[in-house]
Amino acid sequence: MTTTLLLVETVVLAVLCVLVAGLLRAYGTVLRRLHELDGGGDGGARDFTVLPMPTARPTTRPGGPAAEPANRPATPPQLGPAADVAGETLAGELVSARVVGVEQDTLLLFLSSGCASCETFWEELGRPGAIHLPAGTRLLVVPQGPADEDVPRLRELAPAGVDVILSSAAWREYEVPGSPHVVYVDGPSGRVRGEGTGQSLRQVAELLARSTGDAGFVTGGPARKPDRDRQQEAAVDRELLANGILPGDPRLYGEDA
Amino acid sequence: MNRTAVGGPRATVAAHGLRVTLPERWEARLYRRAAVHGGPADESHQPVLHLGNFALPPARGDFGTGAVEVMGPRHAFVALLEYDRDEAGTPLFAAARPTLIPADFAANALQRRLPGQLGCQRFFTENGRAFCVYAVLGSREHAATLLGEVGDVLTRVEVS
Repeated sequence: MTTTLLLVETVVLAVLCVLVAGLLRAYGTVLRRLHELDGGGDGGARDFTVLPMPTARPTTRPGGPAAEPANRPATPPQLGPAADVAGETLAGELVSARVVGVEQDTLLLFLSSGCASCETFWEELGRPGAIHLPAGTRLLVVPQGPADEDVPRLRELAPAGVDVILSSAAWREYEVPGSPHVVYVDGPSGRVRGEGTGQSLRQVAELLARSTGDAGFVTGGPARKPDRDRQQEAAVDRELLANGILPGDPRLYGEDA
Repeated sequence: MNRTAVGGPRATVAAHGLRVTLPERWEARLYRRAAVHGGPADESHQPVLHLGNFALPPARGDFGTGAVEVMGPRHAFVALLEYDRDEAGTPLFAAARPTLIPADFAANALQRRLPGQLGCQRFFTENGRAFCVYAVLGSREHAATLLGEVGDVLTRVEVS
């Protein structure tokens, strides 16, 4: 009798386990689909890729587009053409922002209000001192247009002072597979030099710093210094970054990694 | 109808009866004063158009505070501000849209005086609408070139 009872209980327990597992799986599927609907789908997400690029900045011709520097390769490796960004701000201001054929490089952050993976990026954007960019690099945060976004939620998420331009057209132009997605554009050439996704802005910044040899992505724009000092520092930065040593690395202070 | 278009080297911004097709390198931001700054609902929401041949920052005053500080010597900034329609044709706004010349620009015409910069402010009426155009050149050294750019972009502004 006891054996039979144990057998029945075991069978009932097994059936319950199967049911619970099925429910959890269905719940996971629902969450994943919701995440995709929010624009945070992983299906097309690409790991961040950055192409090597020269670090010397171009000079600007008076009255014309920025000139190519002498040491810029004739045919640098490129991911594709970039496009200017047009849209509107969260305050309803219409914007046409130049990304192509300009002096400055641009870091485009394609974020959404509803994507869970974007929360880290929004949080970093709002943390004082968390965002570093090389001097002359512009940051544009680009959610989709008002028809495709939750604008009140974006107003809650977007920190003051961050340039947010809502533009579904930009998402189409840059073929954004989902959010978060980061695109780094070389302004003078108007070409995309790096794009993909990452777990945080900090992680993307470190990848950019390693690839470009510009520690400004991690430390911020350099202060004004004599050219010779600046060139020497840039050369040292390139060497360190090429060896995977970022600012703050313990090896810089004689400690083991 | 509000419309913002983008594509290659040309971009068009149009709203509130203003339209501009931008030359290369120039960008634009167009807003209505109270709508952005949270003014009272009964205040007239006159449009403000900002134009610059540099990256216009997100936070700017109507006359470019916040933008002129980041200008370089080869940069130029233009603000086109509309005033109440009642002002159109009054003595201050009696002139037609001006063509700006070098003699119009001076350091003491700047809203915010910054080293090297030159400014100019003119009032006019067009299509029954009263406007002020305020332009800032980044440096005297490049004034001639910059004035050419400013003149070019202003001729592209259409008032309907």
